[in-house]
Amino acid sequence: MTGELIYEVKNVSKRYGSVVALDGASLKLHAGEVIGLVGDNGAGKSTLVKVLSGAHKPDGGQIFLDGVERVWESPRGALEAGVETLYQDSSLAAHLTVSENVFLGREKFKSGFLGWLGFLDRKTMIREAQEDLEKVGIAFPSANRPVSQLSGGQRQAVAIGRAVSWASKVIILDEPTNHLGARQAGEVLQVIRAAKAKGLGVIFISHTLPHVLQVTDRIVVLRLGRIVKDTPTSEYNVDTLLGTITGAIQTIKVEGD
Amino acid sequence: MTDSKQATGVAPRSFNWKPLVTNQSSILVFVIFVLAAVFTVYSGGKFWDIAVFNNILTDWGLVVLLAVGQTFVVISGGIDLSVGSTVSLSGVVAGVVMVNWMHLDLSVSNEAAIAPLLLALLICVLTGIAVGLVNAFLVNTVNIVPFIATLATLGGAAGLAIIWSGGMPLQGPNFYGLVNPIVLGGVSLSPFSFIVLVSTITVLIAGLFLHRARFGLYTYAIGSNAFAAKAAGINVKRHLTWVYAVSGALSGLAGMYAYTRLGSGSPSSGAGFELQAIAAVVIGGTSLMGGSGKMVGTLLGAFLLYEVQSGLLMVGMDPNWKQVIVAFMIAGAVGVQGFNFSQRRK
Repeated sequence: MTGELIYEVKNVSKRYGSVVALDGASLKLHAGEVIGLVGDNGAGKSTLVKVLSGAHKPDGGQIFLDGVERVWESPRGALEAGVETLYQDSSLAAHLTVSENVFLGREKFKSGFLGWLGFLDRKTMIREAQEDLEKVGIAFPSANRPVSQLSGGQRQAVAIGRAVSWASKVIILDEPTNHLGARQAGEVLQVIRAAKAKGLGVIFISHTLPHVLQVTDRIVVLRLGRIVKDTPTSEYNVDTLLGTITGAIQTIKVEGD
Repeated sequence: MTDSKQATGVAPRSFNWKPLVTNQSSILVFVIFVLAAVFTVYSGGKFWDIAVFNNILTDWGLVVLLAVGQTFVVISGGIDLSVGSTVSLSGVVAGVVMVNWMHLDLSVSNEAAIAPLLLALLICVLTGIAVGLVNAFLVNTVNIVPFIATLATLGGAAGLAIIWSGGMPLQGPNFYGLVNPIVLGGVSLSPFSFIVLVSTITVLIAGLFLHRARFGLYTYAIGSNAFAAKAAGINVKRHLTWVYAVSGALSGLAGMYAYTRLGSGSPSSGAGFELQAIAAVVIGGTSLMGGSGKMVGTLLGAFLLYEVQSGLLMVGMDPNWKQVIVAFMIAGAVGVQGFNFSQRRK
C-alpha cells in the first residue's frame, strides 16, 4: 500500500532558551502513507511541524528528502522541494482574495515587459485557482473574493486546497479539522485520502482522535519532545490512543535509528 | 483590483447601497465637492479659482509623494515617521553638494541650472534611500518596532540636516519655471506645473505597482499576515527593506520638490510633514493595522487635507486653527473606518 521512503528526520532537537521543545525525534514517511502525529499540548508537535516545513531550523539532527540530506534555510526551500504545510489557523492572509492566497509566493505574471516588472496575470490566477480547488474536491465560493468574507470552514478548505494542489511529495496538515463541522471535517478527511491515493506522503496532526484513527496508516505519539511510540493505526482504539498520549498506558521508548 | 468582486457570488438582490456609502473613496469625493461648494459660497466666489486650485495642487504634490510611500509602509503593517526629516535632510545634502562643494549659487538659473538640478535630484533620492535602508535595518535586524525605529531616524535626520546646513537654508541654483503652470504651444496647462506633473505620474506608477504587481501583493500579504507570507515562501525581511527604501526614495524626491519650490535646501523644509502624510493615508481609508488600503484614497486624502487648509484661509479663518481642523479630520476618518469595520463584522 505504501511506497518508498520519501521524507525522514533523524534525531532532531530544538530548544527555545531553556525549554527543550524537541529532544531527538526521528520520523519516517513513505509515499502514499498517512501518518498521524499526536501528543498533548506542549509535546512538541508544532515545533516538529515547523522543522519539517522549514519554518524553524533544528538545533541538531538531519532531514532527508528522497534520501538526500536537506537543510531548509526558509520555508521557500521546502516549498520548492514539494513539501507543503498547512499551519494551524494562520496559513491564509485574510485581506487577500482566494486566488491571491492560492498563488501567494508562486504568482503568474503577464507576458513581456510588464511581467518582468512583476505585473500579475490575475485572470489566469483566478481561473487556475478555481480549477485547482475543484480538482482537490473542495466546494468553494468565487476565487476572487477576499478570504475575510469566507466562513471558517471555507477558509480551511481554501488553505487545504492550496497545500494539496501545490504539494508534489509531502503535505503536513496541522489541525486541519479544527473548528470544522462534522460534514466539513469529513470532506477534509476525504481530501487526505485523495492525496494519499495520489502517492503523496501526508502528516496529519490532530487532537480529534477519531479523525486520526479513521484516516491514518500509522500513529506517532510525541510526549515532552520525544517520540514515545510509532506503531500501525490498527493497534489502537480511541481509549488506548488517549492512554498512550497522556502516558497512562506505559510505552517503551522507540530507539532513534 | 476593482470593486467588481463585491458583485460576484452574491444572488441578485435589491440595489445594495451599503458599499457605496461605506466606501471611503466615494465618501471622500463627496466631501471634497461639498467643501468646495461651501468654501466657494463663504469666500464670495474667491475659492473657485484656478489660482487657488494651483496652490492646493502645489502643496498636494509634495505631501502626496510622502503619503504614497507611507501607504506602502502602513499597508505592510508598519509606519514611517522619518519622511518629513528626510525631506529636510535630502534637500540640505543636495544644497551642500551644489553650494559648498561645487560653489554654485542662485545666479545659476533656468536652463543653466538643469544639469546641477538633475544631480541634486539624484543626491536627494539616494539620501532618501539611505534613510530608508537605516529604517529597514533597525526594523529587520535590530528588531525595533517601526514606530520607534523611524522615530529615531526622524530625530537623527533632522539633526543632521541642521548640522550640515549650519542651521540656515542653502540657496543654490534653481529653475522657478518648474513650479509655474506648464505652457504648451501657447496654451497654459494650469494648474499643472512640471513638479506637480512629476508627482502625479509618480503616484500613478506607484498605484499600479501597489494594485497590479507582485510588489503590492506582497505588501498586502505581509501586512495582513506576516507568518502566512513567510510560510508561502516570501522573504518578508527583504520585502520590508524594499518598502522602507521606496518610502525613503519618495521622501528624497519630495526633498527635491521642496528644494525646487524654495530654491534652497532648508533644514526645516520637511518639518511636521510626516503627520500630514500619515493624515492623508488615514483619511484615505488605509488601516493602520496593515493589510488594507487604496492608493486612490491616499490621493484624495492628501487633496482634502489641503483643500480644507486652503479653504479655511479663504473664508478668513485664523490660520492657527489649521492644526485643530486636521486633527478632527484624522479622528473623523478613523471613526469612519471603525464604523465600516464593525459593519463588516456583523
